[in-house]
Amino acid sequence: MDYDVLVLGSGIGGMESSIKLADMGYQVLLVEKEASVGGRMILLSKVFPTLDCASCISGPKMSTTINHPNIKTLAYSEIDHISRNTHGGFQVTVREKAKFVDWAACTGCDVCQKECTVAVPDQFNAELAPRRAAYIAFPQAVPKKAILDRSGTSPCIAACPAGIKAHGYVSLTRTGKYEEAFQLNLDATPLVGTLGRACYAPCENGCTRSQVEGTLPIRMIKRFVADEHYATHEGPGVEVSPPTGKSVAVVGSGPAGLTAAWQLAREGHRVTIHEAQASPGGYARHGIPSFRLPKDVVEADIANLTAIGVEIICNSPVADLQTLKDSGYDAVVIATGAHREAALDVTGVNAAGVVSGLSYLKDSAAEVGPDLTGKRVVVVGGDVVAMNAARTSLRQGAASATVVAQAGKPGALPCNEIEYTEAAAEGVEFVFATSVAELRTAASGEVTAVRCVPFSAPSTSADASEDAEAGDTVQAAAAAPATASSTASELVADLVITCLGLDVDESLFVDLAGVGNKSRILANRRSLQTKAKWLFAAGDVASGLSTITRAVGSGRRAAHMVDRFLKGEPLDGFELDSKLSTTKHRDVLARHSSITHRDPITGQVRLNQQPRDFTEIEVGLTEEAARAGAGSCLDCGICSECQECAKQCPAFAIDMTQRDKVSEVEVGAVVVSTGHKLFAADLKPEYGFGKFPNVITAMQMDRLLAPTRPFNTVLRPGDGKVPDRIAYISCTGSRDKTVGNPLCSKFCCMYSIKQNQLIMGALPLADVTMHYMDMRAAGKRYEEFYTQARDMGAQYIKGRVAKITEEENGDLLVRYEDIENGGGIVEASYDLVVLAVGIQPNRDVENLFTDAPLGLDEYYYVAEPSAELSPGQTNIPGVFVAGTAAGAKDIVDTILHAGAAVAQVAAHLEHQHFAEQEALV
Amino acid sequence: MSENEATPVGKVAPEDRRIGVYICHCGGNISDYVDVEAVREALADEPGVVVSTTELFACSDGTQHDMIDAIKEKQLDGLVVASCSPKLHQVTFRNVAARAGMNPYTYSQVNVREQGSWAHQHDKAGATEKVIGLVRSSVAKTRLSDALEPLRFDTVPRALVVGAGIAGLRAAIGLAEIGLEAVVVEKAPEVGGWVGRHGETFPSNAAGRDQIASLNEQIKQRRDITVYTNAELTGKSGTFGNYSAEITLHRDGGDKTLTVDVGSIIVATGFDSYAPDDGEFGYGIEGVVTLPQFKELVDASEAGKLIYNGRPVRSVGYVYCVGSRQEAGGNEYCSKFCCTAAIHASVLVNKLDPSVRQFHLYRDVRAYGRNELLYNETRDAGSVFLKFADDAPPTVAKLPSGGLGLTITDLLTDSREVTIPVDLVVLVTGMVPRQNKSLVDLLKLPLGTDGFFNEIHPKLRPVETVVDGVMIAGCCQSPRTAGESVAAGLAAVAQSAALLKKGYAELEPLVARIDPEKCTGSGDCLTACPYDSITSIEWDGRQIASVDPATCKGCGGCIPVCGADAIDLLGYTDAQMRAAIEEMFEASVPVKEPVA
Repeated sequence: MDYDVLVLGSGIGGMESSIKLADMGYQVLLVEKEASVGGRMILLSKVFPTLDCASCISGPKMSTTINHPNIKTLAYSEIDHISRNTHGGFQVTVREKAKFVDWAACTGCDVCQKECTVAVPDQFNAELAPRRAAYIAFPQAVPKKAILDRSGTSPCIAACPAGIKAHGYVSLTRTGKYEEAFQLNLDATPLVGTLGRACYAPCENGCTRSQVEGTLPIRMIKRFVADEHYATHEGPGVEVSPPTGKSVAVVGSGPAGLTAAWQLAREGHRVTIHEAQASPGGYARHGIPSFRLPKDVVEADIANLTAIGVEIICNSPVADLQTLKDSGYDAVVIATGAHREAALDVTGVNAAGVVSGLSYLKDSAAEVGPDLTGKRVVVVGGDVVAMNAARTSLRQGAASATVVAQAGKPGALPCNEIEYTEAAAEGVEFVFATSVAELRTAASGEVTAVRCVPFSAPSTSADASEDAEAGDTVQAAAAAPATASSTASELVADLVITCLGLDVDESLFVDLAGVGNKSRILANRRSLQTKAKWLFAAGDVASGLSTITRAVGSGRRAAHMVDRFLKGEPLDGFELDSKLSTTKHRDVLARHSSITHRDPITGQVRLNQQPRDFTEIEVGLTEEAARAGAGSCLDCGICSECQECAKQCPAFAIDMTQRDKVSEVEVGAVVVSTGHKLFAADLKPEYGFGKFPNVITAMQMDRLLAPTRPFNTVLRPGDGKVPDRIAYISCTGSRDKTVGNPLCSKFCCMYSIKQNQLIMGALPLADVTMHYMDMRAAGKRYEEFYTQARDMGAQYIKGRVAKITEEENGDLLVRYEDIENGGGIVEASYDLVVLAVGIQPNRDVENLFTDAPLGLDEYYYVAEPSAELSPGQTNIPGVFVAGTAAGAKDIVDTILHAGAAVAQVAAHLEHQHFAEQEALV
Repeated sequence: MSENEATPVGKVAPEDRRIGVYICHCGGNISDYVDVEAVREALADEPGVVVSTTELFACSDGTQHDMIDAIKEKQLDGLVVASCSPKLHQVTFRNVAARAGMNPYTYSQVNVREQGSWAHQHDKAGATEKVIGLVRSSVAKTRLSDALEPLRFDTVPRALVVGAGIAGLRAAIGLAEIGLEAVVVEKAPEVGGWVGRHGETFPSNAAGRDQIASLNEQIKQRRDITVYTNAELTGKSGTFGNYSAEITLHRDGGDKTLTVDVGSIIVATGFDSYAPDDGEFGYGIEGVVTLPQFKELVDASEAGKLIYNGRPVRSVGYVYCVGSRQEAGGNEYCSKFCCTAAIHASVLVNKLDPSVRQFHLYRDVRAYGRNELLYNETRDAGSVFLKFADDAPPTVAKLPSGGLGLTITDLLTDSREVTIPVDLVVLVTGMVPRQNKSLVDLLKLPLGTDGFFNEIHPKLRPVETVVDGVMIAGCCQSPRTAGESVAAGLAAVAQSAALLKKGYAELEPLVARIDPEKCTGSGDCLTACPYDSITSIEWDGRQIASVDPATCKGCGGCIPVCGADAIDLLGYTDAQMRAAIEEMFEASVPVKEPVA
């Protein structure tokens, strides 16, 4: 037996049970699901009828509990299930929930709480005020330790192939921490400005707001923080680890190579990039025209690398990787991309005026490019290169730009939909379902026209391209021409640009690493390591043609693996990005009781027919727009992973990799002291809770009155006004068959009377009125307490309240029956209405016991088969119940009930012990 | 400070002590009225004060940890917490000291809440000045504190239960089941109390007499429970864990006494039923009965035959709150159980004879918790409820027709005065404290203003009394139901077990100490001691006084009567108190008026 007793729940009943049993000498395991012991009592203002400060009498009990040598307390833990073991006790599966904070290190200093950028309703303040996602339950929490509230990985983060914490930089932007938001992006890649423009933003597809009125402008927020940084800062402003003495060569300076180099350099390695072209950037610089991605943005991103010492050698094609390695590198990352263009296999392809897409774009990128004034341009192929080429040609003065694509319709084009719509809006013409059969050539050797034939794709490939991401699938527009057709037509062309798909050029690595599918390099999918251990592959060379965002992710992964390789660490058995399961949209929407409509903020794109200049077409967000956009975030995973707490924690206690810890323990007996829930007041819609801000619950009033109150006084939430006329409505959710609860909750009359007195003390001018059914002041000194409240001036009106309506100024019109004065229906106006909500069973216990289920009564409280002579005994021998888990009780009743349960727990254990001794004899 | 005072144990000069001073905001309870920062500053430079700090809640676990760290790091040898009453937190902070490895008796608590902020809410400057004085005074006392060790002693694994009602009997079984012997003393010839006389009771509908019989059966089968009926507790000596109880058995041949050693005493002496005055709600008129009388009548009735004085009862009127919730001077308390008891009786009547019409004249129906279901049941069965105002009770009179007339101004029907003719009027009588002066005197049990026994704390320590090891349970404490009494009885068992199960207990070392050199053997202190803790012994060839630390309560009563100044109270030595008082006078520092 690991423990004599398991006590479930550490409210006042659980603490009393634990302390008494521990004082008797039994070993107690106390499991509490919240971050602090103490239950609800510690959150109260004062207690009736003594008006003791709840903190003052509960606090020491909490302290005694966790400091008791015979009590082991597991806070923030739950029980998965309990079953009988073979020797008369119980087998218990305990789950210590992941706190994402190393409690052994945490000092409870609350820095994380101050730095946290996510606010959620504070359950410990009855949701009157927000708390942070990184939080200490409340200032008097025992133990006083922080927790990161994480419901999962936010879908935007989960969707990002680059491993960028989208939620994090959104929440940072929301709080005005733009530079921190930029830095969070830098943690993944130096190409913040580039991705802020050229990423297809899979994060936005994941955004839960897209289920409401439209996604957050996540990419545009990234662009905003990048522009903000580059406008105001010199250099990236990152810290770089001390030099490791290791050198790494990166071959290729596209998004993958740059990202790999960045990550490796930050780890302290000496990094040299070898770029065959005259300028670095790869596809970002040469493939994406500057009206979409200005060159100075790419240059600013690349300057991040040079600022931390990465050497970029241009015009430096690598001929042999082994030679490169041998020239003084410890490892090599090959990130040469997929830039081999498929050739058009028709007559006339070698004519003058026929160019391939990438080479055309590259030449155009260098300067303004060729003057195409008056020229008729035909682009063959429908991929992103084709779109970029067509649009670029218009800017160079082309009279027309016509895309000839095999795809039957726009949606079937092998590019992102936005590429097509923007191209079309700029005046690019499209000829669908068409193949090129021949390029007609003039005698001078120049192309003159394109002969087209109809094309119908096999249905399967058309479907596949429907939802393919841009670049994923590239079909050669000039595959086997369709059978000669009578419908052949001709397009006049002065320039033909062929965009027939890209693939990997294997010549550099074929001997060293081997070639896989679609001429990709052979490398381990996870570690990106090749057969030559020092050679790692990143980006399209490893994955085949993909997106720049995926290339960034791949570069980051490769760098991490190279770093581990250089440190001699294993390349498996760990997670690169420690993710939880992705939070579901429906859970997020269910968590928010109401979602205020916000008009989606989108970027503005200037699209003109026949554009003639290369200025960026998309306008960045203003600061206001960026913050407003970020402000719409629903904080899906709760914690945004913005890393602020981790950066600031003086104890280095934040640990995002922490996971639930499940263990098995054996106990001799169980005390169920799981307490109760309070009636959800919005189930009485006629009282307007949740709709009228100045209708609150009594628990909220207790928070307003407590010494640890969220505000400095009693005020009404609607407008912060200090209320003069306060009404109480008793029996909210109790003695009420319409909500399925005929039972009396027992404590509401008394806590209302207590609050009445406290309010009259706190607000001497306030009038307090209670609408009641029967004043149930039944208990020692309770009647006297009631008399005292009346003597202080509280008004008590017998009769139910039928309806509450809100007046324009936020006051509340209460319609009630005044039984003692003729029984008429009366209306009265109040500043604040407090609903005396009753008790509801905590049904968490229902399925805990796997063998014989724990018996519940018809109202789902734990049943006590012989309540009168053996209070606290349940239907399972060895399982006892203490406190409100068995039905309505006030604090003193709970203490007595726990005492009764404990006496019987001890009896059970003694009996068991005796039986064991007998068995031994 | 005079020169002839001894250096405290530990041989550290008072000014070289290392004392930590913590001033508590009490979340505003103190800091709203006392400038705690000014207090902190005033104390920071006091000789021997190493730490002076303020805390939002000194009692919170976080602060406790901080204190422990400070005690260890700064090697403190004295601790002063200026917060609330020592009744609340003396033990808390002594434990903090102990956990930090500091002697817990070098801790002093200053009550600056009750004696400072709460007492002077309208004079912040004055309150602050007073608090500075109180804390300095306590620091002065702490400078001279000794390291004391608690007295540890073995306990007797046996408890005495006074009263064999349902709470006492169930408690006895509870004790025995835990391995503590139980001795039960019952004044009456039979065990069972009120419940033993009842038929069906609520909420289970089990017969009270059956419940008692089943408990009694269990008791008879156990050798570790001894029940004495016709018996009383007539003497008690010793201290908790080791009481010696004198039991007088009233036997035909005369009284016999016997003595048993017990570790704890559970008092479960029950209640008396309120006896209405003649004429109170017509009491005395034939057909006007109290609730217990009516219950007896119902219990004795057979189906279809509710008979009173030979005549069938066709209608019953209940008058609630008889003897409860009275105006000042009467019983102001609510008796808690009677609403449901009357309702339950009416349910039983309805089962006996559904044609009986029943009228309930009430003020508030206090059918709390699940009892609400019984209330619903009786209304569904036809019981009529009429509400009278607190200041307009109904009247009962004999009607000319021969029946009884209940006249009420019913608030539920437009405040009309109605007279209801009924065959029987039931006065729903509450509970009153049972008069038991000898037991109260013997056990020094504290009584509340309502005459019921008082617990040490009505919220968190409901079965303990100010007398260590003496617990109360059931209706002797306050009116309640049988089930609630049983729960309290078992809670008292748990409390007993928490004290006795380990087999030993510890006592405070704050006891009187005689300086044998100074003692002249006058014997004055022997007569002054209310606990008979001082005896005369021979020492160095002469008679001197000697204190039994196990029974000494540290009340200090012996100290002023000693002509030779030979007695000191550990923890509160003359030197300490003198220093504390002197400091209080010296500490009077003017505090600036706070700027508005």
